[in-house]
Amino acid sequence: MADALLSNVTGELSNVTAALPNVTAELPLKTIDANLILYILFIVVIAYVLSWLLSFILMHVSERIGWYRTSITMIIPLLKLLIYLVALYYIVIALIEPSLTQMIAFSGLFGAAIGFGLKDLFADIVGGVVIIFEKPYQIGDMVTIGDKYGEVKDIGIRATRIQTPGDETVSVPNFTIFAQPVTSGNAGDLAMMIVIDLFIHPDSDAEKAMKILREALVTSKYVIISKKYPYTVLLDDFPFYKRIRAKGYVNDLRLEFEFKSEVTRRAWAEFKKEGIRPPSFVPPAGTSNGASEDVEA
Amino acid sequence: MAEDQRTVSGCPVIGLEKELQKITEAIDRVGSGAPAHIAIVSEPMGGRTTIVTEIRRIYGERVHYLPLEFVISPSCLPDFSTIPEDIILIDNCRFLALRRMGGFEVLDAFLHAQISSKKLFITTWNAFAWQYLSAVMNLDAYFPTIVTLDKMDTPVLKQMILSRYKPGEIRFFDDGAAQRSMFFSLIHKKIRLPLMANEISLPWIKLNFTVMLRRLPRKKRIQISIEDVIFEKINRIARGNPGVAILLWESSLKENTMSLASIHETPYAIDLDTNETFILTIILSMKSLHEKDLDAIAGSEMDIQRVLYRLVQQGLARDDTGYYSIPPFALGPAIEYLKKTKRLW
Repeated sequence: MADALLSNVTGELSNVTAALPNVTAELPLKTIDANLILYILFIVVIAYVLSWLLSFILMHVSERIGWYRTSITMIIPLLKLLIYLVALYYIVIALIEPSLTQMIAFSGLFGAAIGFGLKDLFADIVGGVVIIFEKPYQIGDMVTIGDKYGEVKDIGIRATRIQTPGDETVSVPNFTIFAQPVTSGNAGDLAMMIVIDLFIHPDSDAEKAMKILREALVTSKYVIISKKYPYTVLLDDFPFYKRIRAKGYVNDLRLEFEFKSEVTRRAWAEFKKEGIRPPSFVPPAGTSNGASEDVEA
Repeated sequence: MAEDQRTVSGCPVIGLEKELQKITEAIDRVGSGAPAHIAIVSEPMGGRTTIVTEIRRIYGERVHYLPLEFVISPSCLPDFSTIPEDIILIDNCRFLALRRMGGFEVLDAFLHAQISSKKLFITTWNAFAWQYLSAVMNLDAYFPTIVTLDKMDTPVLKQMILSRYKPGEIRFFDDGAAQRSMFFSLIHKKIRLPLMANEISLPWIKLNFTVMLRRLPRKKRIQISIEDVIFEKINRIARGNPGVAILLWESSLKENTMSLASIHETPYAIDLDTNETFILTIILSMKSLHEKDLDAIAGSEMDIQRVLYRLVQQGLARDDTGYYSIPPFALGPAIEYLKKTKRLW
């Protein structure tokens, strides 16, 4: 029995060796006719429609589900990958019969194709698979990839789409995760920590300012506070100004800027009543996004 | 001690015996050191008044009772050291704080007075106000004994409601609503599809577990009376809230006869924006709040009139001469919605 098997394998191998010098000539590609092209087209369209429909339905469901929004959206990329893999499988078996010979020939051609022109595309696809399984971010997260910040709207096979606060859609190739650090503000959670910096004159009453900022934070309509989502208010002293920093979690990461604006506006209204002044020296831009605006106001 | 337990077991606080015992034990433990103050926490209509009445009945003259009716100013806080009684029972402590800038001063002053006093403070809190204040001000650190009144189970609810009547006074009428049910009943569910503006009606299969239990083989059969089915329905609609369940019972009872078909559930389709959910959360955690307090909480950024109109229009709030509260039957749906959107932590 074992001998018979061994002789079979040896036979196959010698066939392969014989076939290799003239691989292309012997590739038993099925006759490509109108029917086959229509069939492939049909599979591609079905796969595309199915993946679009699934992600559309799941996105819609996730929007209605409230707090567990991101738990639904995280399975979308995985389903998409599955659909495209199945489609690819059907296309391949429609074109060639998958025997060892063809597989070797196919992989040879495939390797050459990657080597020549498709290496970036292939790297993006591998990046997409890594994103799906390693989950450095998920659909719905607030992320910074390179210098782009925004909400992840879609994780595709080739690229990730991010919607920036300015409502621009940025396509970031999936390969980027290998080359650049990726920051996720909430890591799958719907609440996200927000840092709010206010700068006051060094002669102003910092203790009173801290109390006001704390109250502005905890009474905000956007805040969430619990043991899991704590808040804090900190003071830092600089030569020409004092910085009051509040850290708290916003209830829904889409309301990040409304939260910042509401807390800042109410805190400054109270600061003015209590005679707390802005500093005469404006801290350099970039210290905090909202800082320079506050001081100018 | 044994005498106290007897008093407790004989009192009319059905379903809250364990909680009352915990409170009486905490009161009896008070020695010469710092007293272990007590907080009684429950959802609106969750049974705080029953407990408070019972404490006042048991401890009588030892208790100084101080119910708060509205949001109080710092000057309204009494001087506790002049009160002769050794137990100070403050009802509705949610009115000590308001979720607005400068709204925590009274609570700060009260907590300071409480921890520097030798008297025992018993306070009652709305569960949602308590959750918020615990997260923000670490309120639970001031109260070594926290008694939470939980949701009520159907058998306890049945016992509580029926204890108000003489045996046989209430007739349970089997109108066949339970009998007609099959294992699976075909119902028509209204469903809103993503791409369509209007709701469509889809046939839906509903499993009927009560009937399934009845149809078990004779040996395993569980006897379910019509009473149990009725109380199960009342408790499901009231979501375990005893106050809401009693109201539902009273509104469904006709000439001392109760039938399954007379219990109606009000449907709510809640659709609110951030401002509306925020104001609903505030009304829920205060139970009842005057428009001017709501206006102060809303601030200049929010059009409070529009928000209140929307809440009243959706049946989630009602206006009693300027005081806004949540109608009892809307409590359950409103709490579910606010928990789903994480407005209640």
